Amino acid sequence: MIRFEHVHKAYKGSVTALKDVTVDIKRGEFVFVVGPSGSGKTTFLSLVTKEERADSGEIWVAGKEVGSLPPWKVPYLRRNIGCIFQDFRLLPERSVYDNVAFALEVTGRPRHFVRSQVPQILELVGLGSKMGRKPGELSGGEQQRVAVARAFVNRPLILLADEPTGNLDPATTAGIMRLLERINQYGTTVVMATHHQEIVDAMRKRVIELDHGIVVRDQARGVYGMVDA
Amino acid sequence: MALPSSYVLRETGGNLARNVVMTVAAVVTMAVSLTALGSVLIMRQAVNKATVQYQGGVELVIFLNANVSSQEITGIRQQLVSMTPAQIKKCSYVDKAQAYVEFRQMFSGQPDMLKVMTPANMPPSFRCVPAKAQSLSQLDAEFSKQPGVYSVEYPGQEIKQWLAHFATLRNVTLVVAAGVMIGAIALVVNTIQLAIFARRREVAVMKLVGATNWFIRVPFMFEGLVEGLVGAVIAFVITFTARNTLASFTGTNPLIPSQPLIVSSHEAFLTGILIVVVGAAVGAVGSGFAVRRHLSV
Repeated sequence: MIRFEHVHKAYKGSVTALKDVTVDIKRGEFVFVVGPSGSGKTTFLSLVTKEERADSGEIWVAGKEVGSLPPWKVPYLRRNIGCIFQDFRLLPERSVYDNVAFALEVTGRPRHFVRSQVPQILELVGLGSKMGRKPGELSGGEQQRVAVARAFVNRPLILLADEPTGNLDPATTAGIMRLLERINQYGTTVVMATHHQEIVDAMRKRVIELDHGIVVRDQARGVYGMVDA
Repeated sequence: MALPSSYVLRETGGNLARNVVMTVAAVVTMAVSLTALGSVLIMRQAVNKATVQYQGGVELVIFLNANVSSQEITGIRQQLVSMTPAQIKKCSYVDKAQAYVEFRQMFSGQPDMLKVMTPANMPPSFRCVPAKAQSLSQLDAEFSKQPGVYSVEYPGQEIKQWLAHFATLRNVTLVVAAGVMIGAIALVVNTIQLAIFARRREVAVMKLVGATNWFIRVPFMFEGLVEGLVGAVIAFVITFTARNTLASFTGTNPLIPSQPLIVSSHEAFLTGILIVVVGAAVGAVGSGFAVRRHLSV
């Protein structure tokens, strides 16, 4: 589903973000990308959506080589990828319903389809009763649920999560993780960058550890630190 | 990709309503800029019109003696007819009765004058339009010597000065109009860019969920179009209503100093249409360009 082959990426000012990264993530996997700040986790994710371009190497996403994708095709690539972030990135002026509906409208889905899908997905994330609220009226956990709903409403092949629990308390975090696990069970490949040791240790999923842009560990059913084998 | 019109309308309306302050700023900027542009164009029209009028419409008046004989009148008329149309465009004869009517109108406020004069002592005259304004002095010389002619009157030197003055004014207004136009476009595009900069996060989120560039751009362009149109219509109403006041700033009618230059409603309307077209185009295209820089992610 996602394949990095000898990917190299440096930013201006010669900061090396990723160095010769080769990783293969299969359809339906749940993968944690861990490592300290500045280790290249966010770069890894933004190469998948082509927000950033690799300097060398090949990146395959859903069967397409991202580097050779012309700019006008990038939006179609992104429709296969749902994204959630630490800062939620919701549109504050729009209602919960509109925030989610927007992701469907963008793909040109007919209105009746949008009307039936959005309440369903909001029900799934437990916000069926708050469709008319603005993001500012919701708690952090609820806002992240809206973001998850928006990311998943297109039934994407891939869900990328960049520190999705960074701003949330432990109880809320557990809720979001249950949601992501459920989405993964529907067949969506989930890639989550995190510092959150408890989550990684508790879930025992595949762990890819980055340090200064290098993959230092790629372990099935791993934990956050390197103690477990 | 075809955009559903319901989506475009909903987005455009929603954005205009959500960003009231920016919408008002854009509309007011557009209205002020286009009013400035329209005003300069109206002034230019007034000057153009006056120039055309006095280049081709200068009148030469041949006043005859009050006791002129009918043979003398016939002689002068024949000479005038022979010069038409090579030197003279057209001529009309104003007899004593008509001259008296004019006189009464001209001096209606002065009953003493009216008492003294009668139709019998009014001078009849030929009112002629020369083919070229430049030939006035030559015509003057020719007819002054004719028997029965009291005097030949024409605006003379004054007209030349006015034509020169108008030529300068036309050039000045052309330069000012071009400057104001560039300034207006820059101001409007800048306002739209500010509005879009304030919403760059929104654009980024749209890109993130896989919106194509046109899907993002078209509602912004419609927004600019609506703001441009509303601003332009306000500018249209202001310049159209104030057209004669604006025209009077350029000067007065050289022959009748109490009468300022005017612009007909038809001419002002055409300028107004131009303003509306410019407003709509600047709004839509400006927005399209302004949003472009945020679409590269």
